Amino acid sequence: MEIIIEEISRDHKLISRHRINKDTIDIGRSYQNDIILPDPHICPDHLRLTFNGEHWLIEDQGSINGSYLEDGKTSVKHHIINSGDIFSVGKSLIRIVYTDHPIEETIRLSTFESLINIMRHPLVLTFSIVLFAFVSGYIFYLNKLTETTFSQFLAPAIGMTLIFAIWPAMVALASHFNKHEARIMAQLGISFVFFNLLWISDIIDNIINFNFSSNWPISDLYTLVPIGLAFCLFWLNSYIGFHMGARRRIIVAAGITVLFFGGSYLVQTTNKHEFSAWPNYNATIMTPSFMFLPSSDVDEFIFNSEKLFTKIKKVIAKEKKKEQEKSE
Amino acid sequence: MKGFITLALVIVSSLFSYISFAVEQAEEIFKQLAPSLYQIRLIDKASGEKSSIGSGFQISSNGIIATNYHVISGFANHPTKYRIEYLDHQGNKDELTLQSVDVINDLALVKRSTKVNMPFFKLTQQIPTKGQELFSLGNPHDLGMIVVPGTYNGLKKESFNDRIHFTGSVNSGMSGGPVVNIQNEVVGINVATSGNQIGFLVPHEKLVALYQSFKREPPGDIEQQMSEQLSQNQNKLINKLLNSQWESKQLENAIIPTIDVPYIRCWGDSNADKTDALFFAAVANCSLDENTYLSSTFFTGSIEMEFRYMQAKELSNNKFYRLYEQQIRRAGPNNKAGKEDVSEYKCHHDIVMPSNKEINNKSIFCTRGYKKFPQLFDVLFLSASIDKDKQALISHFTISGIEQSPALAFTRKFMESVAWK
Repeated sequence: MEIIIEEISRDHKLISRHRINKDTIDIGRSYQNDIILPDPHICPDHLRLTFNGEHWLIEDQGSINGSYLEDGKTSVKHHIINSGDIFSVGKSLIRIVYTDHPIEETIRLSTFESLINIMRHPLVLTFSIVLFAFVSGYIFYLNKLTETTFSQFLAPAIGMTLIFAIWPAMVALASHFNKHEARIMAQLGISFVFFNLLWISDIIDNIINFNFSSNWPISDLYTLVPIGLAFCLFWLNSYIGFHMGARRRIIVAAGITVLFFGGSYLVQTTNKHEFSAWPNYNATIMTPSFMFLPSSDVDEFIFNSEKLFTKIKKVIAKEKKKEQEKSE
Repeated sequence: MKGFITLALVIVSSLFSYISFAVEQAEEIFKQLAPSLYQIRLIDKASGEKSSIGSGFQISSNGIIATNYHVISGFANHPTKYRIEYLDHQGNKDELTLQSVDVINDLALVKRSTKVNMPFFKLTQQIPTKGQELFSLGNPHDLGMIVVPGTYNGLKKESFNDRIHFTGSVNSGMSGGPVVNIQNEVVGINVATSGNQIGFLVPHEKLVALYQSFKREPPGDIEQQMSEQLSQNQNKLINKLLNSQWESKQLENAIIPTIDVPYIRCWGDSNADKTDALFFAAVANCSLDENTYLSSTFFTGSIEMEFRYMQAKELSNNKFYRLYEQQIRRAGPNNKAGKEDVSEYKCHHDIVMPSNKEINNKSIFCTRGYKKFPQLFDVLFLSASIDKDKQALISHFTISGIEQSPALAFTRKFMESVAWK
């Protein structure tokens, strides 16, 4: 009768698998055993499995440390094995399954897989990293108040790229520690593609802020775009790095997104409570070639500015009311 | 030879007698006026100690004392926190009540209780002449009452609200003290100093006006009175500015407005001397030289206009605009105001082309309201040209303590006056 014996780790990850076609199987540390376990807490002849024609039985061979059904209190003796039972032997775990043990359904390869394959392709990966470095360098160049040479902004460009590479590297490391494949190239590939998408979304944000007047709530709505992009990145990170259910993956990705953006939002709102004597306005300007909308005229501008006075009167009246209530 | 010595002696002795005459004169003035001079002190009720001091002088037999508004502003803003007290030349102290204020001219009337008719200062009938000798009285730095001789030098030229230019040292603590002529008549009130023997006085007619209106009808509510004065003064000023000639002036390749009134003074600067700068910049800044003191943390009544022209040297358009954007990132108010005085700013921004179609700007208008004077606002306007690749013009103004419609009228006129050459 064929049987399958798996050596597994404490968190039930497979270490090795043996398929044996015998009616008596010996397990122990000595070399005459069918399955040899190197764990020093296991006796030379530790355990025997026997098939009695109907059931498989497991029996401890009087070992020093005993053999237990997982979490069981007493050492096993003539115990009938059910498919999937896990036994602890010394400090090791073994799992026993029959050949007809049910298995999970096949997971269809997601379309993301082909996308990820494109992104981790060495050419694509190199391109996105170089693009990222170039944009970082260019931004450094734009902000520098003095004349800059090429080598001067090479260093910050490389520095920025290395800093941003920490994230995919950490995700890969984490999945490696969880006994998954690290897939560092795939992590780097998708991360840098998304970092570049965030640059692009930044440019679009600037164009919107530059063109639209403050009457349009569009720039507020647009803040959702980088949040959405970040969510997608985290989702793909966990898709590549960790095997988990679809719902759990969404929760994890959403959790990290909230942690990232919620934190900065929290800082912003706590700062808001402090009075600021300085105005907070949107001063985005871009070169004339980025202007798409027609200009307003002075009348329209004055009309819209007039509304601010009404708003402020309301704010002050509200505050006064609050103070009065407080003093009462 | 003998005759010569005699002559010299005569000259020396007459010089001596002149000096001793001046000293005697000052002494005489002080002796006569001392009973009507006071130190005005603001006492913090909680600690029982004085929190600020100034000087004051009696102007009526029934106990009305004139001083500076800024001496008693703490009481005007927080009547429950402080009380006002006087200290006379004999060391007597008693409480004073606030009667009326003129925040624009920094004057206040307080009253002491008296059962008898008391001596008081007479206000002059005539305006002094340039070079005339005056005597400033007051209690500098809590050192005791003193007399400072000085000269009248006419009215300060660039002020919207008249101030006398007095050559003589006016020190802190002398604020609110009277300045008298040789006939012991008040010609002005100590108010400010620019150091180095330059002092400023409020002309006596401002006090006359305040006292007359107080006698006609004492104000019901000081806050209301202040509110009306602020509105009235700023409306007068803005009306004057809007009705004055706005001249177009050239700032490199841009056309900017200047208002031809003496109390708005302009200054300029450029970075033409900095050869390594990435862009050329020239700035013209015009502002009103005075403002109105409301409290130590709250000033109003200021006006400022600033124009900045920029031109890229050897720069890409993108980099020029990036640096240009940094120039307009942080514009702030030019008057001091705190949380209890004003609301936070609210802003509107848009791309605006004035009707002359000569320039296209990103324009930002921000305003905040006054909590105690709900008809008054601070406004800030900032405009940045966005129609030239390598040239830029920033036009900017701030006005504090202005009503809504004059603020918008000024903004409109300002926006229409900026163009490219």
